[in-house]
Amino acid sequence: MQGKSFFVDLTKCTACRGCQVACKQWKKLPAEETRNWGSFQNPKDLSFITYKLVRMTEAMDGDKFKQWYFFPDQCRHCIYPPCKMVGDMFDDQAILHDEETGAVLFTEATKNLDFEEIRMSCPYDIPRWDEASNLQSKCDMCNDRVQNGLLPACVLSCPTGTMQFGDSDEILEIAKKRLEEVKKYKPNAALTDPNDVRVIFLTSDNPREYFRYAVASADIPKLSRKAALAKAIAPARQVFG
Amino acid sequence: MQINRRNFLKFSAVASSALAFGGLGFNLKPTVAKAELLQLKDAKETTSICCYCSLGCGLIVHTAQSGPNKDRAVNIEGDPDHPINEGSLCAKGASLWQLVENDDRFTKVLYRAPNSDKFEEKTWDWALDQIARRVKDTRDLTFEDKNAMGQVVNRTNGICHTGSAALDTEENWLISSLMRTLGLTYIEHQARI
Repeated sequence: MQGKSFFVDLTKCTACRGCQVACKQWKKLPAEETRNWGSFQNPKDLSFITYKLVRMTEAMDGDKFKQWYFFPDQCRHCIYPPCKMVGDMFDDQAILHDEETGAVLFTEATKNLDFEEIRMSCPYDIPRWDEASNLQSKCDMCNDRVQNGLLPACVLSCPTGTMQFGDSDEILEIAKKRLEEVKKYKPNAALTDPNDVRVIFLTSDNPREYFRYAVASADIPKLSRKAALAKAIAPARQVFG
Repeated sequence: MQINRRNFLKFSAVASSALAFGGLGFNLKPTVAKAELLQLKDAKETTSICCYCSLGCGLIVHTAQSGPNKDRAVNIEGDPDHPINEGSLCAKGASLWQLVENDDRFTKVLYRAPNSDKFEEKTWDWALDQIARRVKDTRDLTFEDKNAMGQVVNRTNGICHTGSAALDTEENWLISSLMRTLGLTYIEHQARI
């Protein structure tokens, strides 16, 4: 497989949120106005100005606290990105797929897209929308950094070695090797959709314990007729487009 | 739980109908032109040390040499060549750029007098003189030659000192010497807290 991939070894994540802040810093994104909503997870959700978020779940064993699940959520940069398939129907300049790195990029032309359609097309619930400008945004794999030989900001900042980044083939090898090691003491350990995406998480338990959309989820994409039509005409667009 | 490709495709009606039509369902072109590192273009790199905890992580500070942010920091990230952090930073360290470039940052001495409900701007000279004056007065007022048993102690229990984690060995030696000269016994350091 060509391009670049992330490996996120969740057995090492301490939820320090270095990645989350490094992302904000590199992108110069403003802070969120937040309130205490009863969790250390802050802000509560991804947004138009938050591309990376460490999700935190307190797993309970009956009434007793069992353990934390930390999940640094971000765009998975699908190898066949459904958001692009849908986006192309409205404007094929809106969502681009970088051939060199495999990054899925939202451009300014996302203002021509139907936000609901794009968000529903994502099996990981990633794209977010700005009502004022009608633009959409998400992680862009720090494409400017990666193309110039630097690590993505989040990977560079990771102090525990949870996040790794490199050529997809090598990363997949590292992920599989690490999975074997972890399985010795965590038999439920799994890689999340390793052959479909470029951000592969290693979870020590069922990925759904970490986050509802840790693995591709069928319960968001309820495709509208408009989106279904997009797929139907897509092959024709390839021929004539 | 591992989801194979076949299952993944089933999840997305998009992809499955694309399969039915035998194509990927989208056009790989137009592709993206080589992205430029606009943010760091012509920026000067300076190494530095994080000022927060006692770990002392290495930093690279990028300073713009032209444009609207000329001579201002435009990016601060971990230094991959630094032996302590090898490029990594925690959440606090990763936010360092905001410490430098921040409209909310105080750039003048603000003084609130006892019982006052507002701050007044003062000069650094005034502030340093005040600190010196008050240290001297407190020390003279609370100085003990002898303790209750008549033993010579030459100390003051009226002042304590807490050092910052960002201080290095030489600075700590200077501070420690000064404080002991004044007669302090409560000398503490953030790295021990």
